[in-house]
Amino acid sequence: MPELPRRVEAQPDTVGRDLGRLVLTIVELLRQLMERQALRRVDAGDLPDEKIEQLGLGLMRLEEAMVELREHFGLEPGDLNIDLGPLGNLLGPEAGSR
Amino acid sequence: MSLVWLYAVRLGGADRPPAGPGVDGESPRLVVEGPLVAVVGTVREEEFDEAALARAMEDLARIERLARAHHAVIVEAAAAEPTAPLRLATVYRDDEAVARMLRERAVEFGAVLERVRDRREWGVKVYVDAKPEAPVEAPASSDRPGTSYLLRRRADRDRGAQARERARAVADRLDEGLAQVAAGSHRMKPQDARLSGREQEMVLNATYLVDTDGEDEFRAALAAVEAEGATVELTGPWPPFSFATLGES
Repeated sequence: MPELPRRVEAQPDTVGRDLGRLVLTIVELLRQLMERQALRRVDAGDLPDEKIEQLGLGLMRLEEAMVELREHFGLEPGDLNIDLGPLGNLLGPEAGSR
Repeated sequence: MSLVWLYAVRLGGADRPPAGPGVDGESPRLVVEGPLVAVVGTVREEEFDEAALARAMEDLARIERLARAHHAVIVEAAAAEPTAPLRLATVYRDDEAVARMLRERAVEFGAVLERVRDRREWGVKVYVDAKPEAPVEAPASSDRPGTSYLLRRRADRDRGAQARERARAVADRLDEGLAQVAAGSHRMKPQDARLSGREQEMVLNATYLVDTDGEDEFRAALAAVEAEGATVELTGPWPPFSFATLGES
């Protein structure tokens, strides 16, 4: 029988990074969902220009914040793209290459 | 005590067992039943009974050795006659049990083997540049940064979708063209780029059963694909693993 993986041991220096990665992954998923929803509304053409500008600014700031946080934890964009096996990747096939 | 490991069932070649060595280092033998010839090996019971095989399946290095030996014997066995490979770890109590199984499933085996007669399997992987084209730099309007951000993101999204759509269309067209010159085709899910270690994206991962006298035509079809700028990886010829692999029924 194979031994239980050693990574179960909580190592202080990686726990922070792993937890950060998990939280950032979820935030990034939400950010992308919001962005997609915003793009759909832009597509539909029923948003006034000021509203589009506000949405865009908000999403842009959020992305900038994400990049900073990611760099703080030393993570690549692809690190947040969890492989869900047969379901594909959480953030889609192209998310890691950006 | 010993058990009988089954490698393949073929039509004919009843006097030419493969040289081996087999999964337990043994020399493969043949069990003949009418027109059907089973390629088998005598293996030690303590290493190959159900419990021992269950243990072996948790040992990657052991599985690899077993799979390589199994594969090598099948390739050798399939060199001349129509051959149906058996799944890894098909084990019988003795030769009489193998012969009984051959009698009981003679019709099914006969049909499978006739289908692969004078045909070989080829694996085809096709890669294309699926990366979206470089973004067209939209003039960043400083007075409406949010709007230009959103429009940029929308253009990214649309280009990504178009690139994926193009890749899918290429794959479908290729598969259609190759299937026309093949006797059978079997399409699998494209592998992740991390597995293939390539920059390009795999759009087609398939195997084809091709008449031995139709192989030139098949290669010509592949060359046409390559001429369009795709990277084609051809493997084989293989025994008809995707078209005649027999399992327990």
